[in-house]
Amino acid sequence: MTSSESDVALMARVRNGDTDAFRVLIERHQRAVINTIYRAIGDACEAEDLAQRVFLQVFRSAKRYQPTAKFTTWLFTITRNTILNEHRRRRRHAAESLEALQSPRPGESGGWEATDQTAADPSQQVIERELQDKIMEAVQQLPEAQRTAVILCRYEGLSYEEIAQVLGCSVSATKSLLHRARLTLKEKLRGCY
Amino acid sequence: MSCKEMQRKFDDRLDDRLGEVDRMAFDEHVTVCAECRQDWRAYANAWATLQHHADIEPSFGFTARTLRRLTELVVVPSGFWRPVFRWAVLAAGVIVLGVGAWVGHERLVAQRRAEIYAGIRQADYLEDFDVIASLDQLNSAQSGANGGNKL
Repeated sequence: MTSSESDVALMARVRNGDTDAFRVLIERHQRAVINTIYRAIGDACEAEDLAQRVFLQVFRSAKRYQPTAKFTTWLFTITRNTILNEHRRRRRHAAESLEALQSPRPGESGGWEATDQTAADPSQQVIERELQDKIMEAVQQLPEAQRTAVILCRYEGLSYEEIAQVLGCSVSATKSLLHRARLTLKEKLRGCY
Repeated sequence: MSCKEMQRKFDDRLDDRLGEVDRMAFDEHVTVCAECRQDWRAYANAWATLQHHADIEPSFGFTARTLRRLTELVVVPSGFWRPVFRWAVLAAGVIVLGVGAWVGHERLVAQRRAEIYAGIRQADYLEDFDVIASLDQLNSAQSGANGGNKL
């Protein structure tokens, strides 16, 4: 069955232009990619567009993929590069970031829904949203490498070694990045916990 | 375990990377030292708070839209045409180089011809006006004027 195949086996098929294998890869990793981008740029609409670009890049670069590397590490490296390019593009076209600020947040309009439905009470929902905004703001304000390390560690559950591979640095440097990020988050989120 | 050492182990404790002995020592210190306990709680709670940031769901048809974008990409000639395309580019390159070399050679030949013609013309000019004879005459006239001292 295709859905039970490993990522490496699927990539071997994608290398030969197999779009069915590619479809399975997309369905398996779309959520992780979209959410990583969303947390990095804070724009749900843009996150989907960028996630599509990530997958297209995966297809184009399939021949360069070495099965020795874990697929998700390679995928998150492409994701990170795509995010970096987007940040550069936004710096060049400052006006577009204004547009991003006005884009809907998850739960505000159709298309994107936060999966945490525990807060049914409206007042509780407001509190929850404020908390989410604060978290998003705190994460967004981190320097890029720290932010990526936090997202990959906290939300995607990558190990220090895998994060180090994505960031292209040593494991000790990754530890240091995470430590500094956690100290900053401790200060920024004071009063939220 | 000192308080400074404790601070350094916050991350390992948080990510569950401490050995059993170290973890017990850590937990024991936190129980005893109020300052470290407070620091540790703030550190761990801030990290735990991040979990409140909920995931977003991919919108309906995300995969289909991505695959559609894939087909819109410019496709490089593949299969049978790929080697043909490669050889055609190589052949075109060889032809361009050959033509360039031939044109360069022709220009060089033309330049040499022009130089030879110019030399011949110069020779004709000298012959027509008998310059050599004129120089001889000039020589003899000068020698007469210098009292028989020939040049």
